Amino acid sequence: MRVLVVEDDKNLNRQIKEALTDAGYAVDVAFDGEEGHFLGDTEPYDAVVLDIGLPQMDGLSVLEEWRRAGKSMPVLLLTARDRWSDKVQGIDAGADDYVAKPFHMEEILARLRALVRRAAGHASNEITAGPVRLDVKAGKVTVDGQSVKLTSHELRLLSYLMHHKGKVVSRTELTEHLYDQDFDRDSNTIEVFVGRLRKKLPEEVIQTVRGLGYQILED
Amino acid sequence: MRIDRTLAWFRAGALSPFLTGSIAARLFWLSAGWLVVALVATAFLLTELYSHALDTSLTQTLDFHLETLISHILDTGDPSSTDIFIPDPRFSRSASGWYWVITDDKGQATNLSSSLTGSVLPTIDVPFDADKYRTEAKTDEFGVHIRMVEREVTVKGRTYHIVVTGSLDEIFRLVADFRGQTLIVLSAVGGMLAIMSFIVARIALRPIGRLRKAIEAVREGDASTVTGRYPQEIAPLADEVNELLRSNAQIIERARNQVGNLAHGLKTPLAVLRNEAAGSKTRLGEVVRSETEKMTEMVSGYLDKARIAARTAVVGRKADPTIVMLRLCRVMQKINPNRTVTFTRPDASLPWFRGEEADLEEMAGNLLDNACKWSKTQVTVSMVAERTETATLLLIRIEDDGPGLTEQEAAKVLQRGVRLDEKTPGSGLGLDIVKELVDVYGGTLQLKRSSLGGLLAELRLPSARLGRS
Repeated sequence: MRVLVVEDDKNLNRQIKEALTDAGYAVDVAFDGEEGHFLGDTEPYDAVVLDIGLPQMDGLSVLEEWRRAGKSMPVLLLTARDRWSDKVQGIDAGADDYVAKPFHMEEILARLRALVRRAAGHASNEITAGPVRLDVKAGKVTVDGQSVKLTSHELRLLSYLMHHKGKVVSRTELTEHLYDQDFDRDSNTIEVFVGRLRKKLPEEVIQTVRGLGYQILED
Repeated sequence: MRIDRTLAWFRAGALSPFLTGSIAARLFWLSAGWLVVALVATAFLLTELYSHALDTSLTQTLDFHLETLISHILDTGDPSSTDIFIPDPRFSRSASGWYWVITDDKGQATNLSSSLTGSVLPTIDVPFDADKYRTEAKTDEFGVHIRMVEREVTVKGRTYHIVVTGSLDEIFRLVADFRGQTLIVLSAVGGMLAIMSFIVARIALRPIGRLRKAIEAVREGDASTVTGRYPQEIAPLADEVNELLRSNAQIIERARNQVGNLAHGLKTPLAVLRNEAAGSKTRLGEVVRSETEKMTEMVSGYLDKARIAARTAVVGRKADPTIVMLRLCRVMQKINPNRTVTFTRPDASLPWFRGEEADLEEMAGNLLDNACKWSKTQVTVSMVAERTETATLLLIRIEDDGPGLTEQEAAKVLQRGVRLDEKTPGSGLGLDIVKELVDVYGGTLQLKRSSLGGLLAELRLPSARLGRS
């Protein structure tokens, strides 16, 4: 899952990035509205954490621009102005949720997790595919109730495919959503990780669709 | 001495009800008082003038009779002649007040009118003038008030005094009648003038009544400024009220902006400090964590307080609760897609909320947020007008199907700064600002058991007449 963080306070930006990276997200950052708008407009993000008070272009304008351009990724607003009129304004501008500053990092993580899950059409924090069960909140995978140890890259890959269960996901899409901007994109690495995952999970869970990509079948 | 007492009377506030009471009444009583004095003085003056004119006329008549008698004496050459008479029957009736007498130099009456037979006239005390003439008002033996005129003449070397009198009582009667009629006429005039001054006061004060209504409309929230044209005496007052409202709104707006800026300015660094310390196991991390926690609570608490303080001075605002609730329900539904937020739309006659729209949003929004936080699947919102003996209240009911609260828990959360489950997100200040705003608006907040199984929050707020959306 690839996430964009737009926050002008350098320390806060760094903290959110670290927390999200630790939670297994690929994170891009922007420090002003224009940069944030450009990234959101050109890169495929699974979610955005957007501060309202930004230099160059304020958060609500950025959000409105994205929505006008048909960008539908879930957006979590960060706001210091926590009056209801501000919240209403944010949601009406196209935000999916908001968190008032100062917040606990866990709250950002929980809200973001829910937004990503909802965007993929899952109601709970647990996604299953046959014997495989993914606990999104805890970042744990079990097969027939037995815990399976995955590296963070493997977990990201599995999580993305599970979130988009039933859909054929191309290698390019996987690269775009699993790695941040600065990653050296070599599609071979995806194949390496798929291969490793197949060894740890029942073989049939991840299907290869020749010429198109990978797929986890619906139950 | 008298001035001292008058001053003391003023100082004692004897006039204060007069100075603070109704202007119309003051105008009326002042003009009525003045009218009474003026009309009484007029009546007195008119009567005096009339009485004086009648007396002068009587004196002239008596002078004429006096001249007639003198010419008779000169004609006959004998003052005691029976040919001397005045052809007026009043001089024949005794005790009529109409008498004449001719006395010689020894004081003996040589001739007199038949009305004077058997009685004696009083003597005139004033001295003769250069023409040997004098006059005075006296009372005769019968108690009749009379006007006496007297002249001294010399006939054939002998001096005679001729006195003629006429009744003043007749004049007094005429004057009394005149006075009565004057009083009746002037009272009628006075009454009419009083009614006029009452009407004039009313008409003159009508613009003040209009101004009062216009200001009332602002307070009711029906208007944002004092409108209408006013006479030049009170037009500045209307302008000043508008100016006051404008500057008040401006000050509040500025205060709110400052509060917002302060919020933004403080909250981001607080978030940074808090997050930085969150992972640290050191003593420093521990201290920063607990202190930022306190600072966060304080910042939120005082920002809320500042916002409320800025709000209390707002007058003349009202908001359509249906629009506010529709907006809030839409937002909450979007944030909580796995819950059903049902808003039963009230009919169009539902009164409006008397107050700031943002405050209604704050109160209802926080309650709705809580309901969504705790509910399993369902949240319902409804609004009705509740009519009490003294006022109509706006009743907002927000219910959920969550675990709800026991009576003790409900009583506890209504105290300041208390929250029951520390793990559910939210600063715990949500209900505090609701409670404070409810207090500011003189409303009530009750927490009960909902028929859905969870909590029912009943928010009662002051209502205003419908306005234009």
